[in-house]
Amino acid sequence: MEEEKFDVIIVGAGPAGSTAAFLLARAGLEVLLIEKGITPGSKNMFGGRMYSHALHKIMPNFWEEAPVERPVVKEILTFMNGSQSVSMDFQDVHWGTPPYHSFTLLRADFDAWLAEKAEEAGAMVACGIRVDELLIENGRIVGIQAGEDRMLADVVIAADGVNSLIAQKAGLCKKFSPKQVATGAKQVIQLSEETISQRFKLSGNEGVAQLFVGDCTKGMHGGGFLYTNKSTISLGLVVSAEALQHNQYKIIDLIEDLKENPHIAPLLEGGEVVEYSAHLVPEAGLNMMPQIFGDGILVAGDAAGFVLNLGYIVRGVDFAIASGEAAAKTVMSAKVNNNFSKQGLSKYQQFLKEGFVMNDLETYRQAPQFMANPRMFKAYPQLVTGLMSKLFTVDGSPPVRLMGKILGQMKQSKIGLTQLAVDGLRGARLL
Amino acid sequence: MMAGIWIFAENREQTLELINAGWNLADELGVNLVAFALTEQLAQEYIKYGTDEVLLLPPLTQEQPLESYVPVIVEAARNADPDVFFIGATKRGKEMATRIAASLNTGLATECNAFALDQEKKLLVMERMIYGGKAVQKVVCTTRPQMATIPARTFELAPLQEAKEGKIIRLTAAPPSPVKIINRNSKVQEAVDITEAKIIVSVGRGVEKKEDIALAQELASILGGTVGCSRPIAEELHWLPEEVYMGISGKKVKPDLYIGLGVSGQIQHITGIRDSKIILAINRDENAPIFDAADYGIVGDLYDVVPNLIKAFSNVLKI
Amino acid sequence: MKILTCFKWVNDEADIKVAANSHELIFDRVGYKISDYDRNAIEEAVRLQEQHGGSVAVVTVGAPAAKQSLKDALSRGPGKACFINDPSFVNLEPSQTIAILADALSKQEYDLIICGEGSSDLYAQQVGPGLAEKLGIPCATNVNKLTYNEGNKEIIAERKLDDCVEVVTVPLPALVTVLPDINAPRIPTLKQVLGAAKKPVENVTLDALGQNYEPRLQTISVLGATMERRHLKFGTEPADIKVIIDALLKEGILA
Repeated sequence: MEEEKFDVIIVGAGPAGSTAAFLLARAGLEVLLIEKGITPGSKNMFGGRMYSHALHKIMPNFWEEAPVERPVVKEILTFMNGSQSVSMDFQDVHWGTPPYHSFTLLRADFDAWLAEKAEEAGAMVACGIRVDELLIENGRIVGIQAGEDRMLADVVIAADGVNSLIAQKAGLCKKFSPKQVATGAKQVIQLSEETISQRFKLSGNEGVAQLFVGDCTKGMHGGGFLYTNKSTISLGLVVSAEALQHNQYKIIDLIEDLKENPHIAPLLEGGEVVEYSAHLVPEAGLNMMPQIFGDGILVAGDAAGFVLNLGYIVRGVDFAIASGEAAAKTVMSAKVNNNFSKQGLSKYQQFLKEGFVMNDLETYRQAPQFMANPRMFKAYPQLVTGLMSKLFTVDGSPPVRLMGKILGQMKQSKIGLTQLAVDGLRGARLL
Repeated sequence: MMAGIWIFAENREQTLELINAGWNLADELGVNLVAFALTEQLAQEYIKYGTDEVLLLPPLTQEQPLESYVPVIVEAARNADPDVFFIGATKRGKEMATRIAASLNTGLATECNAFALDQEKKLLVMERMIYGGKAVQKVVCTTRPQMATIPARTFELAPLQEAKEGKIIRLTAAPPSPVKIINRNSKVQEAVDITEAKIIVSVGRGVEKKEDIALAQELASILGGTVGCSRPIAEELHWLPEEVYMGISGKKVKPDLYIGLGVSGQIQHITGIRDSKIILAINRDENAPIFDAADYGIVGDLYDVVPNLIKAFSNVLKI
Repeated sequence: MKILTCFKWVNDEADIKVAANSHELIFDRVGYKISDYDRNAIEEAVRLQEQHGGSVAVVTVGAPAAKQSLKDALSRGPGKACFINDPSFVNLEPSQTIAILADALSKQEYDLIICGEGSSDLYAQQVGPGLAEKLGIPCATNVNKLTYNEGNKEIIAERKLDDCVEVVTVPLPALVTVLPDINAPRIPTLKQVLGAAKKPVENVTLDALGQNYEPRLQTISVLGATMERRHLKFGTEPADIKVIIDALLKEGILA
């Protein structure tokens, strides 16, 4: 039986894969989008928020039909240390109006919608199918094999997530080491829409994104997050896989502790856990990026390690979408000359640079290393909370002026002035 | 036009249970209690257990399955217009009830495990399990007769009423059914009735191979219990006989102690064991739904835990 | 052989949550699926067709949203689908489904109709035999082995009943309901999934049926079945086991 041939086969119907499929199908190419989950998104997970700019560029005003949860207007960064916490609360009410800076989402709904857009544009979507092998001829990727079925294509786009089997089979990279990934786990907790809006002091359908750093990760590299969806809260942790392996903690226990944390528990009061999920998260930025193109193959999204975690900002979905767009542009330009060799696909780097993906990752290349600084997760949170405590406590003890308070706290937290200055400068430069 | 509470069941025991179920109802509604019987002897007996009238079904030939009675029953019902019709929820009974209901253009509540009479509307509010047993649905049938199939042992047997008198009406022969029996093999009845067991050790998909059931058997024997399982173990893998699978479509058990080994806890199975006094579950997966249904849950590898349990129980029971 | 096979698009009961206080069911994040045992019915139909030739059409009754089920059903082998739909076809009770199917199928030609033993949501186990009765064709239920005797235009069905295994012959046209142990439904391959999109779908609307389908069973309430349990969790240490055994002793469970 003759093998069916497509222009492009895309493996993985997440944001990267579906975006590429949508654009390529819209341009008239024969696209096959293959997803191993029963529905797109069923195997996908993230903390909770997507920055709108990337999708808005491709599908203007997508929020009018996409299943989004709440537009985020409030960003909170919280340092936690036992009974004390310090939060910086930033709000921009304009973010609650178009073009909406960012949205919280539920992946099962959003990814399914995005894949449907690709299908409407003309892509063939096959769910519940796992790609087992790449078809390689003379070192060139010519298609895929799923079970007994072989499908040919001019180019395969590997958009199959962190630890991309496809990129590995193409020889573009090895499995990520525990150093390069984090384990993200979260619980989705049900509360009513009004309760959420009230507790977080939000108007209408607005949302909050909150990041936690400090004892929630018990000194390990990582942090906690909380995102408000329409009628649920996504609460979770991202912790370095290496650190988890090294210590005896199970992330599920850490999340239970997080829920009971006195600074968080009141926010969740009366809520019921409706979902629990965990997933690996690429953490190492550009330094973990595999070869992202080869003969007949492109790699996009988490599969290419396109995630940026600066602590105060975490971005994955917008990168995935933008890289899907760049991949689509690459294929379209390669099609002009019918050259899908590594050389023909090399424009991928350029398209990624033109967008923001490469630039942003390049700018923050050193960030993951800096963020791995252990002081970030214990000493500095302690410093901040300790200092604020000194500032606000009135208990009859001898008064100390501000400078004295600061120096005193640094001594207590065992942080020298120089150390603080060095870290501060580095942080300001790298993050 | 109240013409009676009607009863049909495939065997004597279930007929007596349904006579019990219908007795008070017939009394409250002031109508006759009518039962179908397969033999003259049973007909006489049913009267002594409380029926006012028995409809004696004609004998069938060897090649006619029981379901051949459907047209006979339908005709009798059309003529008499009963108010309520209970049928024993055996596999055949459920098929027959459905076909009878379809022919009479009325509704049918499948596997009704409880009912109450709405005195005012003279409607039975019938309860049954849905969503694998996750929920209880209450329904009423707004057409005549109100029909329900009722599982065995939902009601106790009716008490004997030696002095009771009643009428036996012989029904005409059943038309030849297009479905013909060419063979019938009786099932070998299992020695132990798991529905009576006080202690049950249950095998789920977490048990890796058939030989490992010996582990469950060892644990059961220390405790003086019986081995059972979830549906796939019996029906798909055939590791244990079907008589011992517990669930919404299998056996409903009420032991003092149920121990699940590698049982994931799907709702269909839980429905069969929900009346257990104590549920102890051992499963490797901490997110397995069985832990939501258990009193005591051990998150761990059953291959480690069970030998330790056997040792510990042996010590305590001084075996 | 012209075979029809019926399936129901149901919510996945594992996703249904029960509200803690009111015991009401929460369907918010419920996924949908082809009812488990109907997959066996579809598989059996396709197997018979692969053995004896002919055609298989898959039939379902549902609301328009159920359209997404057709791809899944068609990827399992049937050559075409018959989608009987109307927005009012939500929460139908068995007698309605039976009446709708009977009207729709009475105009069709078929040798055999294969249904599942019962749907995973309501498990009323009525549509199969009820449909046969309305269509005036013989039926065999609880079948776990099916053979087609082409010469006599009949099927030989092994029925697994409570107290026996009964083997019957049933002249065609007929209907059977099959048990899940009759076969293992195939996992559609990529080509089969892609092929599904190209297969024809016949849309049958309420207008075409020309009737109202009033329910005979009215649902008064649906509430979560509660079960109080202690939910105590333990590890595998000897200390944990001791706690459990002590508790069982205290309860008087162990003789």
